[in-house]
Amino acid sequence: MSSKINHHHKINGQIFPQPCPHLADFRTRNDSKPFRALQACLRIKPPGGRAAIRRDPYEVPRCGACGDASKPRLYACMTCACICCHAPPHSSHAAAHAASRCIPPGHEIAVDVDRAELFCCACRDQVYDRDFDAAVVLAHTTSSIQSSKPENLRKRRRIDYRPWSPDLRERALMVNNASPIDSMNGSNSNLPMGLRGLNNLGNTCFMNSVLQALFHTPPLRNYFLSDRHNRYYCQSKNGVRLCLACDMDAMFSAVFSGDRTPYSPAKFLYSWWQHASNLASYEQQDAHEFFISMLDGIHEKVEKDQSKPRSQGLMMSSASLLVLYYDKVDTSPRERTRVALVLVEILEFLSNLMKFLLIRCNGECCIAHRVFSGILRSDVMCMACGFTSTTYDPCVDFSLDLEPNQVGSAKTVPKSNHSCNGEADSMSSSQNCGISTLMGCLDRFTRPERLGSDQKFFCQQCQVRQESLKQMSIRKLPLVSCFHIKRFEHSSVRKMSRKVDRYLQFPLSLNMTPYLSSSILRGRFGNRCFPYDGDESDGLSELSSEFELFAVVTHTGKLDAGHYVTYLRLSNQWYKCDDAWITQVNENIVRAAQGYMMFYVQKMFYYKASEKQVVS
Amino acid sequence: MSYKRSSINRPPTPDADKDRENQDPTLQEIINIKLIESGEKERLKELLRERLIECGWRDEMKALCRAYTRKKGRNNVTVDDLVHVITPKGRASVPDSVKAELLQRIRSFLASAAS
Repeated sequence: MSSKINHHHKINGQIFPQPCPHLADFRTRNDSKPFRALQACLRIKPPGGRAAIRRDPYEVPRCGACGDASKPRLYACMTCACICCHAPPHSSHAAAHAASRCIPPGHEIAVDVDRAELFCCACRDQVYDRDFDAAVVLAHTTSSIQSSKPENLRKRRRIDYRPWSPDLRERALMVNNASPIDSMNGSNSNLPMGLRGLNNLGNTCFMNSVLQALFHTPPLRNYFLSDRHNRYYCQSKNGVRLCLACDMDAMFSAVFSGDRTPYSPAKFLYSWWQHASNLASYEQQDAHEFFISMLDGIHEKVEKDQSKPRSQGLMMSSASLLVLYYDKVDTSPRERTRVALVLVEILEFLSNLMKFLLIRCNGECCIAHRVFSGILRSDVMCMACGFTSTTYDPCVDFSLDLEPNQVGSAKTVPKSNHSCNGEADSMSSSQNCGISTLMGCLDRFTRPERLGSDQKFFCQQCQVRQESLKQMSIRKLPLVSCFHIKRFEHSSVRKMSRKVDRYLQFPLSLNMTPYLSSSILRGRFGNRCFPYDGDESDGLSELSSEFELFAVVTHTGKLDAGHYVTYLRLSNQWYKCDDAWITQVNENIVRAAQGYMMFYVQKMFYYKASEKQVVS
Repeated sequence: MSYKRSSINRPPTPDADKDRENQDPTLQEIINIKLIESGEKERLKELLRERLIECGWRDEMKALCRAYTRKKGRNNVTVDDLVHVITPKGRASVPDSVKAELLQRIRSFLASAAS
């Protein structure tokens, strides 16, 4: 084995390996001409989009020295196009080719004909070159026509995070306008702020558990505690109209008041019943359903507030103007057709514009969406021609399947070996065998899924329904990610429901980078150095992909007779919130619990007790 | 670089070539050519990839490579090393169901190609 000097350096935030001396020589002699010329030989095979090097599409490459076409690795010399096999430790005709005294030097760099990767025969290792990867990327993008980027994405100008500390005037303002909260008995003053039990009003543990998690969702807590929604001045509540945000505000005030006696969220329950009348009963409900319904309730209030969205009005008036114009066009049928086509294009543009405005609205419209709303990207690839259709959809949480682990081999297969909670690399430990983990569920969520023959997708390029491959990824992460584990299965076919009790392991710190669209796209085509979608690198740095766990809603019991409990992580201590009873518990208890909804917040919002911060 | 060989760059023809071309291709080679020409080899490869990803084999191999690279140091590992290290483990841990499925596909291909 030759030792290599292969230091990495960063270009535009991407790690880029230094070329080996032979590659550097090759570049100085030939610049990047050979790579660009190679583009003609790059064949992209749908549906996976594998790149291969073939002079003509049906060529069967053979080793020039031994004539073997079945060796696993065949390399084509970049200088003389001679194909050699490389099968250490047996024969390596590629290395022999490079080292041969009969040829002048300069034949060290070769390309893998089946994988389109550069190889240095002298160093006996893969090498990387930006221009080569750029050529491969270009071949990818020209071979399959990608759909144009949808209009509903806006480049957000990022504001840098700056920690705040009050100046003298602000300090005076705070002191003058605030009143100290009386701490009760000495024992209670050690507990963090905002811990207060919630009385069960009749099977309302589903509501209590979600509310406890929301009370300690940092951005939401900050919003309500800084009086951004004042229930005394709220306009939407004229008379009997309800406002869930006002009720939330009341609850935040009550919970953070310092009073430790259990609170009864009766007013909120009543308002929520009015909003979600189909769920208004004393029966047990699903906590996740309540969560979604509540976010929707807070959002709806904002929509009702504003007059008819301007975007809708714009669309309506434009459409009516165009129709009027079309009517007035009094010419030949061919002319009318042409005008009609133009109008259709204009209307399409307007509908995209409206979608764009609505999507933007989703992130900015209300506090619920500002905190929880993210954007999912869905790619559907035609298996026949490789054409990919991309759509972006907003989401407020991630619902993950808890599928059984595949036990395919005689040995158990450990899933998801990149747990971030301090455990050793699990290949060495056997305790992870067969355990489902949150990252495993996310892996499954972003894995390409073959849509069956009964779900054929209409391919715009083939103009016919084809089998396709669908892959999800996350375009934009929300401030707070709620992971909902689908433990309740309702089968309409068998008319039965059941609960999946299988244990799920979840980490305290979570890095979402591998599930971002940029990572998924890069991985789809072989992790090339070159970024695929320029839009993806608009500041979504690793900083905003790191999350910390702060609340876990767990469910115990059966489908129709169970109990929800929330575990909160405050100042690195765990507290169990079981309706009106709040107790401090050990981390191990939480780890062993059956997670149903896990709440993660972006790391920068999670103030650790060790750091000197204003809020704990 | 165009793929037209110029005589300056062309390597000398190895002697081994002449012998090989005179012999009849072996059965293995004939089958291989047939598989490639019909496109079946590509389909089988794709199927194999899909199955190995589904059952977690690929993740297992990735973890082995990561562990090896961490042990040796990122700058001291070559592709050949990794291939050498994981090939025996990889071959041994392919699930029997995957092996059976692929063998079945190859058998049916041969049966149809023979006729």
